[in-house]
Amino acid sequence: MHDLTMARSIVDTVLEAAKERGAEEVLEIDLVIGALTLLSREQMDFWVRELLRGTIGEGAEVNIEQQGPEVRCKQCGYRGPVEVSDDPIYHLMAFTPTCPECGSTELEIVAGDECTIRNIRARR
Amino acid sequence: MRKEPIVETEEIFDIELEEDLLNRNRELAEGNHKAMHEHGVRALDVLGSIGSGKTTLITEMVKRLRDRMNVAVLAGDLTTMIDAERIEEQGVPVVQIHTGKECHLDANLVHKALAELDLASVDLVIIENVGNLICPGEFPLGADQRLVMVSVTEGPYTALKHPYIFADAEVAVINKVDLAEAMEVSVDGLAEDLRKVKPGIKVVPTNAREGEGVDEVLRALGL
Repeated sequence: MHDLTMARSIVDTVLEAAKERGAEEVLEIDLVIGALTLLSREQMDFWVRELLRGTIGEGAEVNIEQQGPEVRCKQCGYRGPVEVSDDPIYHLMAFTPTCPECGSTELEIVAGDECTIRNIRARR
Repeated sequence: MRKEPIVETEEIFDIELEEDLLNRNRELAEGNHKAMHEHGVRALDVLGSIGSGKTTLITEMVKRLRDRMNVAVLAGDLTTMIDAERIEEQGVPVVQIHTGKECHLDANLVHKALAELDLASVDLVIIENVGNLICPGEFPLGADQRLVMVSVTEGPYTALKHPYIFADAEVAVINKVDLAEAMEVSVDGLAEDLRKVKPGIKVVPTNAREGEGVDEVLRALGL
């Protein structure tokens, strides 16, 4: 729902970084969007491209990678991916995660909740 | 999907930013939390649908709390001073936060609003989020507890359709129970759905306008 705001902050950050380094054209933007966020890949892709129009990033290739949820278990130290329940009731759910190793629910989310600009490819 | 690294030439080059835009908000939220805790201030984030009765509930809560603790309220809305004026009648400090076009409060807006309060003389900050059951879920503000309010006039499916908002909530309030029959909505059914989407959540039915159930809300929050 706030995809436009996030897209605007992505585009602003990208253009600022590119201009700082003397770029004349932005060719590619690599983004990572976590599966636990409320951001939709399709809408983000649309808005980022739309906001790039008329800038040095117009027509850039926008690659969006979806990052699945990964946790660190505070009980047993497990670090890795967790399943998101596909019960239709949890369709949009952040998930009530349990550690696949020990079943603990005391987990720290280490990936899957991000909206990251990973890389920008530009031309001078 | 890793691409071949390009050797930096005069022409084409890579900028590895690795900048997480959502993490900026989380860091600011931690800052808010720390700042409030240093002053022994507890904070409650109140979320809920548009028109579910958030301001009415907060007003009723303030009425019951103001004699035993110092309460301050941050009222978030896109525009207008309506909520601030309604709560101010209870004689507590209120800061109206205008989000302009935004669908949610964020940690930065709350940080600015907190600066307008004298935290040393506040025990509890109640933050009224923008009426919305979707976006605020993604933006922690630095509060200790989250309360989510729905009402029977939104129909029977609010919990199942917006599970994400309840993920970090401790208490769910079902308001306007006096209208349940007219709306043909089962309060028990809604409570059951709430416990499905968030196991362990405390569910409190209220008729906030008449003050019914408000004491139970305070108890559920440990206030």
